[in-house]
Amino acid sequence: MNTHLDVGEVVEARKSREQALAGTAAAGRPTWVPIALLAVLVMLPAIQVFDGFNYVLHLGLYALMYIAMSSSWNILGGYTGYISLGHNVFFCIGGYFSGMILAYTGISTLLTAPFAGLAASLVGFGIGFITLRMRGPTFIISSIALLMVARILFDNWSFVGGANGVTLPQLTIDVQWAKLPYYYAMLFIAAAAVYCSFRIKHSKFGLHLRAISQDEVKAESAGINTRFYKMLAFAISAFFVGMAGAVWGEYLTYIRPNIFLIILIAANMVLMCILGGKGTVAGPIVGTIVLIAFNEFFVATMGSSEINIFGTGLVMILALLYFPNGIVGTLAQKKKLPRFLDWD
Amino acid sequence: MAKLLEVKDAVAGYGRGPDILTGTTLSVEAGHVQCIIGPNGAGKSTLMKAIAGLLPLRSGEIRLHGERIDGMRPDQILRKGICFVPQERALFGKMTVRENLRMGGFILDDPHVLGRRIDFVLEAFPILGERAAQSAGTLSGGQQQMLAMARTLIVEPQIVMLDEPSLGLAPQIVEQMYDIVHMLREKGMTVLLVEQNAVVGLSNADRGSVLDLGKTLFEGPASDILSDPRIQELYLGKPTQAA
Amino acid sequence: MADFIQIIILGLALGGVYALMASGLTLVFGVMRIVNLAHPIMIIAGAYVSYWLFRLYGLDPIVSMPIAAIVMFCVGIIVYKLVFEREAASAKYSEMTVLLTFAVAMCFDGLLGTAFSNTQRITSPSYATEAIFFGDLFIPKGQLFAGIASLTVIAALVAFLQFTRFGYAIRATTQNRDAAQLMGVNVGLVSIITFGIGIGLAGAAGALVSFVFSFFPAKHWEWIAILMSLVVLGGMGKLAGAILGALILATLAAFVSTYIGTTWSTMTFFLALFVILLVRPQGLFGDPLEES
Repeated sequence: MNTHLDVGEVVEARKSREQALAGTAAAGRPTWVPIALLAVLVMLPAIQVFDGFNYVLHLGLYALMYIAMSSSWNILGGYTGYISLGHNVFFCIGGYFSGMILAYTGISTLLTAPFAGLAASLVGFGIGFITLRMRGPTFIISSIALLMVARILFDNWSFVGGANGVTLPQLTIDVQWAKLPYYYAMLFIAAAAVYCSFRIKHSKFGLHLRAISQDEVKAESAGINTRFYKMLAFAISAFFVGMAGAVWGEYLTYIRPNIFLIILIAANMVLMCILGGKGTVAGPIVGTIVLIAFNEFFVATMGSSEINIFGTGLVMILALLYFPNGIVGTLAQKKKLPRFLDWD
Repeated sequence: MAKLLEVKDAVAGYGRGPDILTGTTLSVEAGHVQCIIGPNGAGKSTLMKAIAGLLPLRSGEIRLHGERIDGMRPDQILRKGICFVPQERALFGKMTVRENLRMGGFILDDPHVLGRRIDFVLEAFPILGERAAQSAGTLSGGQQQMLAMARTLIVEPQIVMLDEPSLGLAPQIVEQMYDIVHMLREKGMTVLLVEQNAVVGLSNADRGSVLDLGKTLFEGPASDILSDPRIQELYLGKPTQAA
Repeated sequence: MADFIQIIILGLALGGVYALMASGLTLVFGVMRIVNLAHPIMIIAGAYVSYWLFRLYGLDPIVSMPIAAIVMFCVGIIVYKLVFEREAASAKYSEMTVLLTFAVAMCFDGLLGTAFSNTQRITSPSYATEAIFFGDLFIPKGQLFAGIASLTVIAALVAFLQFTRFGYAIRATTQNRDAAQLMGVNVGLVSIITFGIGIGLAGAAGALVSFVFSFFPAKHWEWIAILMSLVVLGGMGKLAGAILGALILATLAAFVSTYIGTTWSTMTFFLALFVILLVRPQGLFGDPLEES
């Protein structure tokens, strides 16, 4: 029987325990890193002066596109906690919006992209109105159903060419520099998406989203207009994806349902965020680079298609089981995050 | 006195979170009603869950009759003779009172024994007997607590653990509930309970343990604890309080 | 009028197959609260088992149904042990678990695609192309046999759940997992076996699917939404609901297919899913408060 009991000691012990649980604040942000990175990326196309770097540019463009899309997805999936497995619906809407304008009026998607983004946002707002009423797993299922519905709709819509799609005119530029406009467009979109993601994270809006992702019921009772904020997050997350779709369509010179509406694209967006760290700013970027590098390696050694799907699935399983917070998130948890990755 | 249940230096926490139990010790003697008190977050429920096998220990040991039971599954611990009634009471809302009792005897092999015990419980608790065909979800809070506790009689465990049995119950119901606690003791069972309302809990118990910040600070006869001025200052508030 | 009845007959026969397809999904959700997006690909895996047994040994798919079921039961146990056992311990992260099933689905999609390529397959036992006629009405033999086989398996499942001790344990775990555990049910064991049974049911359904539909690996994405609509209509985790939902929606889809067009019949399921989730998310028999 323990009889040693000092009132003062107990009160002290309680205080210090509470303090320990409160945690410590973070150090300053390395703002020079993203700026330096941006500078490098802006100057990258200069290597086109030398021959044979076409593929590098293509890869860069592709990566930037996914950075934009996964950062965008992150706003809904990472910050708000609503996981959408059909987000490439907006990719498709943006692509078709600008693509059809291009086909009919010849105006380049590079100009109409922001409007494509807006169109996607509007649709997103509307869809969100319906689907955001569902929580958790039901929301995920509805997003897959949405993708299936969109696929059927676009496959059967004769105005946009149905399953065969529409061929788009090409820009008349020298092959050596042909990729450049699209590259810079994607760079711009990616930068905008990441910056937007950063600003949201540090705004009151972002705080509310995080509250929603932790416990929506409590957030609601705390007076947060969860309905509106969720829909806004949905709309914003659709915006950059739509813009990316617009540029991608013109870059490929054709728009077809099966380039936009395949589940692998949605899976990629999700996986990049999970791998990198959903809910962080740098996470999607890290995840995108890692996954694309992994994909390239895979395709180079094993050829593409089915094995690719298996590989993506396997990576997702491993990520979810062993790094649920992603690379950035796990490092941050263990307090081992290198400063150049701490963009939060 | 035979030490029925012993917890030594238990350390435990939830998921990857901080340690809630930071080296807890506890000893329970057979045939007594023992009450654990302490502030919120002290680890009282955590301790019970650890004993019941719902939470793994990070270090330390739990022994029943000298045999180590930490690391065992909850169903194994039940078979060893420890029955746990959590705060949520663990009733099957859609099953009737009788079906809940039948489920309570899941580990019994002999259906005749099960049937006899169910009949006994329904007789000993007329309130339950009247509602044998009623679904448990429609019972009042007090009746649900009664059902949860009566259900332990089906299994006739050595130790019954009750986590905050008086939670949400009106004072007269609380009294009735403690009558059941004493009845369990008369039947030869040992009762270990966690009670937020320290005065009520200790006045109805033989022994008490004081838990704070995951450690047992004090263990002994309940009346000693009640009259200790240090305990009163830290955990019981002003000496004059309505129980 | 005869047309009307004809459509209903076709719908119900198909509905029976859908019911079996959905039953495993419902069972797994009931016990583990896991929405298993990988269920449809497991059905397809079972279909491949039957397909190859038919092509290589001439084994009738209905006869090979138990084989497909057992093979997939084992696959289910292995998948659970490798992937889900850890997750089951931590109660949170139900969205993460859904993503996990999604990832498993992708893995199997890739594996099956690599092994068997993406060509459409169909098993063609003799009865698949024959029909039975009652006056003006007809039922395709294949669908009739499939429907009967489905209902037999479902009846066996229900009997198992109602009359065996393990079935009792499953039902208790479905109602209240924590309570069941404290009553002495080894919920860990119940989870893994139930998952195996669920996937085994998928395998059995696959054997029937192999001659009722044409299949290829990527088809599972379509079935995810279809099966979900059935299960949600019936009420997540309620077996009777899933069966009823299957019959209702399959019949509805049959009408849409006849009067509007076959491309839109799958739409029926997707639209139904949205409507249900909006109007009455707990479905016909589900519990009002759906805790995700």
